[in-house]
Amino acid sequence: MNAEHDLPIRERLAHWVEHLTHVLPAQAPIRDFVHHNTLHGFQHLPFAEALSAASALTGVTAWWPEATFRACLASGRISADDLNAALDDAGVADLDEPVLRALSRRDVLLASLLAGREAPDAGHLDWLQRETALADDLIFGHFSRLTVAVPAEAPAPAWQPLVESRWAELCGRVGLSWTWRSLLEHLSGEDVLERVRSILQRHLAAHLDLGVAAWRNPAQGQGFFAAWRASAGFDLAWEMDELPNVRDEILHLPDSPIDVLLEELPRLIADESRWPGYLQRLSLELPGWSGMVLWRERHPGRGDGTPVAMLDYLAVRVLLERLLSDDLLRRLTGGPLQLAELPEHYAARPEEFLVRDALHQAWLPEELQGRAASLVDQARHEHVDAEDWRHLAAAIAPAMLGAQADSVAWQQAALSRQLGLTLADLETLSREEVGRLEKCAASLNPEQRSQIWLLAYERHYREQLFAALTANHARRTAPAAPSAQVVMCMDDREEGTRRHLEEVAPDIVTYGAVGFFGVPIYWQGLDDAGRTALCPVVIRPTRLVREVGVAGAESDQGKRAARRERRLQWRERFYQATRRRAVAGPLLTALGSLPALAALTAATLAPGWFGETARRWREQYDGRLPTRLALTAEQKIEATPEQPQLGLTDAEQIKCVEDFLRMIGLTANFAPFVLFFGHGSGSQNNPHLSAYDCGACSGKHGGPNARVFAAMANRREVRAGLAERGLPIPDTCWFIGAEHNTCDDGVEWYDLDTVPERFQTALDTLLAQVGEACRAHAAERCRRLASAPVRPTPWKARRHMLGRASDISQARPELGHANNAAAFIGRREMSRGLFLDRRVFLISYDPTSDDDGKIVEDILLAAGPVGAGIALEYYFSTVDNERFGCGSKITHNITGLFGVMEGADSDLRTGLPWQMVEIHEPMRLLVVVEQTTERLTAILNRQPPLQELINNEWIILAAKSPSTVAIELYCPRRGWLPWSGKAVLPQVGRSADWFAGESEALAPAIILGGTRANMPLPLQGGGREGDGFGHGTPQTHPLPNPPLEGEGAELPTMASCKESK
Amino acid sequence: MMVLLANLPNWIWLVPALPLVAVVINAARVLLGTATGDAAEPLTARLSSLTAFGGLVLLLAIDALALLDAPPGHLRLAHWFGNGNWEATFSFMLDPLSLTLGTLTALIGWLVIRFSTNYLHREAGFHRYFIALSFFLAGIQLVLLAGNGLLAFVGWEMCGASSFLLIGYAWHRPVATGNALFAFITNRGGDAGFLLALGLAATWLGGFEWTLLSKASQISAVNDRLLVVGFVIAALAKSAQLPFSAWITKALEGPTPSSAIFYGAVMVHAGVYLMLRLEPLLVQVPDVMFGLVVAGTLTAIYAWLCGLVQTDVKSALIFATLFQVSLMFVAIGLGWTTLALVHLCLHAGWRVWQFLVAPSWLVITRERPPPPPAWLRHNQLLYTAALQRFWLDKLADTLFVQPTTSFSRDAHAFEEHFIDHAIGQPGQGKPVHADRPLVVADGLPGRLLASASDVLQRIEYRLLLRGKGGTAEKLMHRAGAYLRTLENLLEQPRYLMMAVMATFVVIL
Repeated sequence: MNAEHDLPIRERLAHWVEHLTHVLPAQAPIRDFVHHNTLHGFQHLPFAEALSAASALTGVTAWWPEATFRACLASGRISADDLNAALDDAGVADLDEPVLRALSRRDVLLASLLAGREAPDAGHLDWLQRETALADDLIFGHFSRLTVAVPAEAPAPAWQPLVESRWAELCGRVGLSWTWRSLLEHLSGEDVLERVRSILQRHLAAHLDLGVAAWRNPAQGQGFFAAWRASAGFDLAWEMDELPNVRDEILHLPDSPIDVLLEELPRLIADESRWPGYLQRLSLELPGWSGMVLWRERHPGRGDGTPVAMLDYLAVRVLLERLLSDDLLRRLTGGPLQLAELPEHYAARPEEFLVRDALHQAWLPEELQGRAASLVDQARHEHVDAEDWRHLAAAIAPAMLGAQADSVAWQQAALSRQLGLTLADLETLSREEVGRLEKCAASLNPEQRSQIWLLAYERHYREQLFAALTANHARRTAPAAPSAQVVMCMDDREEGTRRHLEEVAPDIVTYGAVGFFGVPIYWQGLDDAGRTALCPVVIRPTRLVREVGVAGAESDQGKRAARRERRLQWRERFYQATRRRAVAGPLLTALGSLPALAALTAATLAPGWFGETARRWREQYDGRLPTRLALTAEQKIEATPEQPQLGLTDAEQIKCVEDFLRMIGLTANFAPFVLFFGHGSGSQNNPHLSAYDCGACSGKHGGPNARVFAAMANRREVRAGLAERGLPIPDTCWFIGAEHNTCDDGVEWYDLDTVPERFQTALDTLLAQVGEACRAHAAERCRRLASAPVRPTPWKARRHMLGRASDISQARPELGHANNAAAFIGRREMSRGLFLDRRVFLISYDPTSDDDGKIVEDILLAAGPVGAGIALEYYFSTVDNERFGCGSKITHNITGLFGVMEGADSDLRTGLPWQMVEIHEPMRLLVVVEQTTERLTAILNRQPPLQELINNEWIILAAKSPSTVAIELYCPRRGWLPWSGKAVLPQVGRSADWFAGESEALAPAIILGGTRANMPLPLQGGGREGDGFGHGTPQTHPLPNPPLEGEGAELPTMASCKESK
Repeated sequence: MMVLLANLPNWIWLVPALPLVAVVINAARVLLGTATGDAAEPLTARLSSLTAFGGLVLLLAIDALALLDAPPGHLRLAHWFGNGNWEATFSFMLDPLSLTLGTLTALIGWLVIRFSTNYLHREAGFHRYFIALSFFLAGIQLVLLAGNGLLAFVGWEMCGASSFLLIGYAWHRPVATGNALFAFITNRGGDAGFLLALGLAATWLGGFEWTLLSKASQISAVNDRLLVVGFVIAALAKSAQLPFSAWITKALEGPTPSSAIFYGAVMVHAGVYLMLRLEPLLVQVPDVMFGLVVAGTLTAIYAWLCGLVQTDVKSALIFATLFQVSLMFVAIGLGWTTLALVHLCLHAGWRVWQFLVAPSWLVITRERPPPPPAWLRHNQLLYTAALQRFWLDKLADTLFVQPTTSFSRDAHAFEEHFIDHAIGQPGQGKPVHADRPLVVADGLPGRLLASASDVLQRIEYRLLLRGKGGTAEKLMHRAGAYLRTLENLLEQPRYLMMAVMATFVVIL
């Protein structure tokens, strides 16, 4: 800070704005929704510290409430063992130190976690004593006597010093965690921000608008500050708000926003060192709008040419804050007062401050609350005598002083009950001993407590996963001669598709990889007006691949394009002209009315049928056209992201294909088909559409990448080149590209007409198998959707999903990545045959062909941030949907084509809607890599990005030995910890046997059917609900390494597993 | 069968009554606490949708009858209340105007309820939303089908109340509740007009029937004008025409489907319907019709200009709606009522769709709409005015809402300082007598009760309990002596005979 102090103010301002990128939401316009860590700016800190810092800065709750965790404990989602182990994991010191007789610190802390530290406030406690049996509770009575007796002995202290220090504390917050507006709201109950937002929101939205408004501010080309100033000078609202001087001030403002800031900031706060903090606080009060302004400033190419600058916005924001706060201050104190004089003002009026402050306190008794509220309200409209304040303050003061006693008694009573202490025990305890107990229980702060709970919550699922991996170890085998190799996105949703495909066709082998399949391209489809980057957001492609009509169909293509253009123009005309054309509007309304009503009726009554019919009609009208890819570039040119090279050269193609196949470990034993599955989601009426798409393709559909890859790998030149490099692909192998629609579970196949004749029969079989797998997958997805049929047949389930995807009234077309929890990087055999409930990212990697660890290093570098981004965005949107997420979809209102507001006047909402995360279990991503710990340690030591993610515990790393059953968990503090637990897992025949009728998250299970054809397992007696498929009793796989002390936790048997759900 | 069919119009009351049944049942389930969780949702939604569908079927059947035969016209089903000079009835109007709009509304209502079932799944306010929506359907059908102004007014108020409830759907957001209150209060201005007109109709015409109102030419032109103006104010407020326009732009805080049916498709047209219904009355006062043209034109300009600068989809659509509704007022003012009716129906059909697919705007549109003509584009003052919506919401806030809230504050203060002190509050009692701390009282009734009990206690204490020598004991002793003497006398036969004879004398 000191070095910075010498910089000129302009540079310092730029510096402060730069810093804001760390704390403001970095969400792009909603069309390009890409998952990222909501607290990306805090990623340099360890997870727990970062959450505390974010809470302190923004007031969010970054953890689930303790009560929710306790409910999980009650429902069996967390076990007592998990909690116990979590105390160790959290690194709580001196756990085994005795606190009181036989009780160790561990016992006391566990009891305190179970008992909770939330205590009812005075009013509630009073009510409980009157209305419930609490008054007769002997333990509570004991502690009440103990605690209440203490203050009674001392003379009542004077309240004035307390109040004065409280006021000083509140004033000290300004510029750090509060602004003047927060302080004034605390005092007066009136929120300046509401008015600031209404004033600002219309101007801001108009300035940032990407295509809703027809008429823009005439001065918008000069930047936001100038545009706002030009309008505000004409604004009559100032007079109506009785702020006539504001217009004069606006007219006399300097032209440069920086000068405005330099003029206004000293008026707000004299201490210059607090300016950056104050600006940060101000930006964080409307995080959505501030974040969007900053994003647009940082990405000028993604806007519409309108200049956007954060300093413009801050200047207006600071000016409004000062003007409106001044106004409120004038009304509050009844005289012209500068903001700087406010601390003195109330320091001289402690009675008035006490009353105003007490109004926000839980300890204020109900009857006093009413009196305080009415006095504060009265003060808003008329003068209140100092005597009145004094009178009420005298009544409130005793309540303030006596506030603490009872809640301490409550906490101590709950703790003693949890420790199993009887009244007889308690009576033998001295006051000092009770104090020691209480001190120990209170030694964890709320954040540490939440962290311990989260660790326990995560551990429970982790134990299940480790047990599953261990149990599955002995079953690892691969089909000797696979009928097809299917490569899908690593996406957790595809775990289900892959599992079902393997169950349907046990001789199919599946792979998972980052969903752009190593082909970073710009893509321009036949119907696309512009190009789209299909690769992770951090990459900027330099190659463009276009979809074109087949050779000889140029005239068809032109006709089709014209017809399509005409159709879209008419559609646009209908929607746009009916809202803004004076003459054409009513005419088009009249024309469109009956079809619209018919469409609404059909879409409401039979969404699936209507969606399908409309699609068919559109296709018929446009005309069908077989297409090819403009894939190959003749020669390499100097390409930039702005001027990409059209197509890839042969050498580039060979490299792409080779690198990717080596990465996933598919280098030999090629099946007749290698199938590449991209994915995307198609749903209706959904502003958050792209949040359901492929994150590895920048929130777009990944089908084109699959298609491009398959087309490249089929080319004779590429195969020859691959053979030269020691990766021969035989002629008996054909690559096919397809796209999986994760919403309706349909598949779009590409270029099937180019498949040679000799593959046709096998192709039909493959298509049928994939279709069957998708239907089975649809049936599995139904179980988590309350409005889906219960225990549907696969056909019925698929029909339901089709209807769901085209239903305009469906706020949950699919559940996205909800419940994602882990990532496996390794051979599929590691997890094949396990039911993982669509919760695990599966990334294929063969440790045996990666001697130097280079491949896994690249995978971790690419997949780590993607997986962490998804998991953490879901985590934060779940724990505080109001602040990190964007609330419920149903009142959302698209604004400027870049975001959503609630209703027509709110902050811009960022993050995930509540409908996407309502069933999510918020956990950090557990990454299990099939590689030795030595190699992973080496990688970690040389890769700072991974150190940031893993050592700061934003993701959890574990290593599964490539050769043995051993699993080790990485702890940044303690190093690699070998896992030992019982690998007892329920076994079922097919996935459907395990999930049928269940609607909650399910524990892993062994699926016998998946590998049955190749490796028959000895089936044991018993069965689950007698479906004729012998399976079900838990099977114990003997562990090679003995359990370590203190580490082992028993996995629930199948019976208790099912009960706990 | 034919008789039953012919009697079908007599069952028209079911159309507004059926949704009310859904309201009552669903509200009862909420109150009894049985409507919780996922499992309770289908029943609520199906009940609402079924009752709406029932109304639609009934209306379609009546439509069919009307097409085959003649429209049933004005139906008087029952007497409601009244006195010698005027009467209120349960009557319905089944002419082409009411039947067309009633059927269209029933269809849109049913579709929106079906739409909402998925859309609001697992919302905390799911049941509340459906109750309010069914209540609205009942209300709007009452407006459209009622045969008299009074019944229509009941529906009118039901619409207003449910609109208030749904704007404030997200009640934890201050903006939403503030806007709900704003819309509610500004709408009361229109209601005042409606009530005035009804009162005048009762006084001058002796009833509220629409058929009666069309004969208003029998009263003087001045009276006629006053009557019409009342209704016109009501219509302008409900359809958010100037000067009442501000409320509708603030009404978009509710869930998207409720915005669609209230402000996009149905309720916003209620004012147009009222004008169409009163056409016979209107044509007699050309100056009022001219007023409609002026109000409509001004609103059209206002809505068109504001619509150009809107940046969020819902606001853009609401100004578009307002624009076309104002054209209907212009058409009515010019006497083109058929055009207005056709426009109304077509507009409702399109707009409900457009509102419901508002979340698709990112997909539907590709490019920015073309800018307005250059003379307008560069006018900074007009731009500011349009962006600030001509400051109407601020004006309405200052003129309507703030006076109302300060009035309510005064009323509250009055209650707090006078009434509360007069009638007292529980738990605030003070001892009446210093020596009897157990007797506490507050407020006038409390003090009265305390003093009454004081008196009674004094009686008890003084007269009865003071033991020997108390006044009561003395009196009773004396009375006992008299009675004993009387008994002794009656026991003697002559006195008994005298008593019997006296009895006979009295009888004879």
